[in-house]
Amino acid sequence: MHKQKKKRKFELESIFQLHLRLMAVITTEEETILTDRLRQPAQCREAFGEVVRLYSEPLYRQIRRMVQRHEDADDLLQNTFIKAWGSLENFRGEARLSTWLYKIAVNEAISFLDRERRRQNISIDDQQLQLSDIIAADSDIDGDRLALQLRQAVAKLPEKQRLVFNMKYYDDMKYERISEILGTSVGALKTSYHLAVKKIGQFFSESD
Amino acid sequence: MKESDDILGRINRNDGTTVPEGYFADFAARITASLPARPELEDANNIVEMPRTTWQKIRPYAYMAAMFAGVWCMLKMFSLMSTPVDPLAIESYPELADALGDEQFMKQYVTDDLNQWELLDELAEDEFDLSDLPMPDSIDSESIHNLPENFQ
Repeated sequence: MHKQKKKRKFELESIFQLHLRLMAVITTEEETILTDRLRQPAQCREAFGEVVRLYSEPLYRQIRRMVQRHEDADDLLQNTFIKAWGSLENFRGEARLSTWLYKIAVNEAISFLDRERRRQNISIDDQQLQLSDIIAADSDIDGDRLALQLRQAVAKLPEKQRLVFNMKYYDDMKYERISEILGTSVGALKTSYHLAVKKIGQFFSESD
Repeated sequence: MKESDDILGRINRNDGTTVPEGYFADFAARITASLPARPELEDANNIVEMPRTTWQKIRPYAYMAAMFAGVWCMLKMFSLMSTPVDPLAIESYPELADALGDEQFMKQYVTDDLNQWELLDELAEDEFDLSDLPMPDSIDSESIHNLPENFQ
């Protein structure tokens, strides 16, 4: 039984890694073509539709891991694309299209959390507890107990460490790419990730 | 750290969150339909090409000039670094090199190494009164007595 579970886990990991590699190859080529099409007046709307289809899922996952509630993530994802469409002329193609979209999405998520803190007049610690409670009550979760605990541990991390951990661990992004999105040096990101992993370890040892 | 690595190794990288069925397909359709019109982007007639500024016009030439200047500086620096300067070399003292290149200077101050007799001879030719001269130690009164007749 234990062997079967281990085998299933290995299969899932392999599929996930393959999916990430394929996504990376496809999106780099598609991004270049899409960027060119976004600059052409006759094609920009249609091309943006493809951008939405291509990036809605990874951006949603990123936002959801920050705000936890599906409804909030849905609103923020909409805002992300509306803002991207509204400022398309500001995208000069110097960075990757996905990097630009990730930046908007991350800013949207952080602004939302700030707004919520102000609206409810609560501290960062209180908000982290709140997010942890949302995870515990989330009926959509189909993962195992450890995965749920990991989400709770991540929710208790400071914002920056949470972002870095999510991008590195769940999305398997390279530090260089995270650095482009968050505008932080690779060294600082490595430190953030190291601290995040350490705190997650402490969370698990305390909850045992 | 090792303990937390072990825990992370045991967990799937799937965060376990789910979304309503068909959410992403619906979302794309919903967003595409709700995108506001952007005539300044979508209508080719509305796109006004900005006139090029003077800087934009001269920029390639400025960059090229800067590049050549950089290459020249680099070559100059390499040549300075590759030939060690001898502190005693004549090239280190341009004024001295000029003076040594001057034929008259060389004749008067370097090549014409007159001895005392020749000097006195020259002075006598110029009808110079030797009694006006302060006598150096090396020329004593006995030497003056032994001078040729035309000097006395």
